Amino acid sequence: MAIVHLVSVSKRYGATVAVEDFSLDIADGEFVTLLGPSGCGKTTTLRIVAGLVEPTSGRIRFDDQDVTDLPPRKRNIGFVFQTPALFPHLSVADNIGFGLSVKKARKDQIAARVDEMLTMVGLSGYGARLPAQLSGGQQQRIALARVLATDPRVLLFDEPLSALDKNLRDSLKYSILDLQRRTRKTAIYVTHDQSEAFAISDRIVVMNAGHAEQIGTQTDIYLHPQTPFVAEFIGANNGLPGKVTGTDGSGDDERSVVSAGGLTLRARPRAGVGPGDEVLVYLRPENLVVLPDGDGAGYDNVVDGTIERVIFEGPTAQLRVDVAGRELRVDVSGGRRLELIQRHGRVRLGFNDLTLIPVTAAAAPPPTS
Amino acid sequence: MTAMTLHRPRLKARRLTDILSHGYIWFCLVLFVLPFVALLTQSLGERGGTSGIDNYADVFGSFGDNLLWSFKISGLALLVDLAVCLPAAYALVRYPVPGKRVIFSLLQLPLYVPGAVIGLSLLMTYTFVYPIEFMWGLVLAMSVGSFPLMLTPIVVALKDLPLVFEEAAECLGATKWQAYRKIVFPLIGPGVSAGLLLCFIIVFNEYLVTLFVAPPDLETAPLRVFNLVRTNGLAPSTAALAVTMQLISFVAVLAFFRLFGTRHFKGTYIL
Ligand SMILES: Nc1ncnc2c1ncn2[C@@H]1O[C@H](COP(=O)(O)OP(=O)(O)OP(=O)(O)O)[C@@H](O)[C@H]1O
Ligand SMILES: [Mg+2]
Repeated sequence: MAIVHLVSVSKRYGATVAVEDFSLDIADGEFVTLLGPSGCGKTTTLRIVAGLVEPTSGRIRFDDQDVTDLPPRKRNIGFVFQTPALFPHLSVADNIGFGLSVKKARKDQIAARVDEMLTMVGLSGYGARLPAQLSGGQQQRIALARVLATDPRVLLFDEPLSALDKNLRDSLKYSILDLQRRTRKTAIYVTHDQSEAFAISDRIVVMNAGHAEQIGTQTDIYLHPQTPFVAEFIGANNGLPGKVTGTDGSGDDERSVVSAGGLTLRARPRAGVGPGDEVLVYLRPENLVVLPDGDGAGYDNVVDGTIERVIFEGPTAQLRVDVAGRELRVDVSGGRRLELIQRHGRVRLGFNDLTLIPVTAAAAPPPTS
Repeated sequence: MTAMTLHRPRLKARRLTDILSHGYIWFCLVLFVLPFVALLTQSLGERGGTSGIDNYADVFGSFGDNLLWSFKISGLALLVDLAVCLPAAYALVRYPVPGKRVIFSLLQLPLYVPGAVIGLSLLMTYTFVYPIEFMWGLVLAMSVGSFPLMLTPIVVALKDLPLVFEEAAECLGATKWQAYRKIVFPLIGPGVSAGLLLCFIIVFNEYLVTLFVAPPDLETAPLRVFNLVRTNGLAPSTAALAVTMQLISFVAVLAFFRLFGTRHFKGTYIL
């Protein structure tokens, strides 16, 4: 219900930089997820949007209103915390009605709204219970109903599912998405769980050490990581430090030639990366294909290696393959994985989709494996 | 067979421990209750041909005023304590007050200092400011002496209360005051009620500070007992007043937790 702007927001606690020059524009009704490792500043950013933390610098705007100096109660937001934080001395109905009652709404209006919300989260008939008489998942749904009851402009979620068990997490994340879609509210969702972020977001902000590393859709972030951090944090990846030595081919077949870890690899050229540049080369484990001996047609790159270890993970098998003294992870799925778990010794790998990321002074140090 | 012979000695040892620990508890109970029984017996003693029960008539006759004063002083002192401690505890716990540990320790001072010393220092400090000739001097003295007993349980209760409830309330549109009144206060209820109870028991039975600061025409029940014992020894009617005071304290404890306030305001986990 509102466009949210974070304009160059920073937060320092003494010498600790929690959030650094963070800017983000969120469209009306968009579901944006802040994804990043522990301590990267996700919660701090969210609390700044809520008004629970005052930024050291920067502005927050909802639509055309600058809310930076408003207390939380005047921002009309809905904040769902990591714990349900239902008021333990109030009934479920009184919890849901709390936001309306502090705004002095009429009793019958509150009651009607409470019933509507209970139905919406699928818990009608639970109004008279105390929070302690609900399961963890039910409590979190009531917490959601409680914030929706006030018809907030923006929904804010701080890892609302992290305290629940896996099955519940999986079903509740879709409930949250469904409710957000139905109410068409702008939402910011904080998580460190990639699968959660990928399942429910319109856009994902990958955060690291207080700043946004990359902002984009699931496919942007997974297929086209812009920084080494994103390449390594999202999914599994094999990273090799290397150097562009030249180009070959032209048009659609143009490739950058990269010398990395004793191998000569060919990758699709990337804007701004030319011969002489230091790069990190990333190969996704699922893009490495174990080739039948001698075959290599159709692949830009074919390398030989030795299987060091096979880890059977159910739907996939993970191979650790020694290639020129470097261990690469290769994920195999489907029927082939069953042949391969018996196999040892030499294999030939073919692959096309390499990602080149230029090494800049600011980038993270190259991976060692 | 083997199992039984193996288990029997262990069972015996446990039985013995049972008997010993029960015995110990009863022994302690008797030690603890005996003085009260002695006082009760004394209060029922005959004096000059009247029956023991008549001693209790005095309690509500000539001692009635003293009890009334005690209730009045205690009630007012509790109100002052509450008015001081609720905001003080909140500030100490929720705001980054510099040196809050030192402040908190200093505030406990009245607990470590003997009552006579408190009485003396109050006299020395405040008689020059205003003559302690009316009730409020005593009320304030009682509050000074007892407020740490109110402050500490409230501080503990607030520290135990996660900040997230207040934050949730504020995000839902509540003012700080609404969040405090509707969420914080009910949830620290057990701490508040523990503080009220402790302060009541202490103030209601206090005589030493009263001895120093009470105006001449004001005699609380404990002070009356003290004065009577000092001049006449323990007369049966004095003992009757003492027993009544004990009963009041005891009933206060029971009634408080059974009757006072809402479900969450009761200190349900104490009694
Ligand atoms: N009140 C505070 N005082 C001092 N430092 C703080 C405070 N709150 C957060 N920090 C620091 O700011 C940084 C970011 O914290 P934040 O809670 O935003 O991380 P997060 O991404 O939410 O992590 P997590 O996934 O573990 O919840 C951390 O280094 C943290 O130690
Ligand atoms: Mg966090």
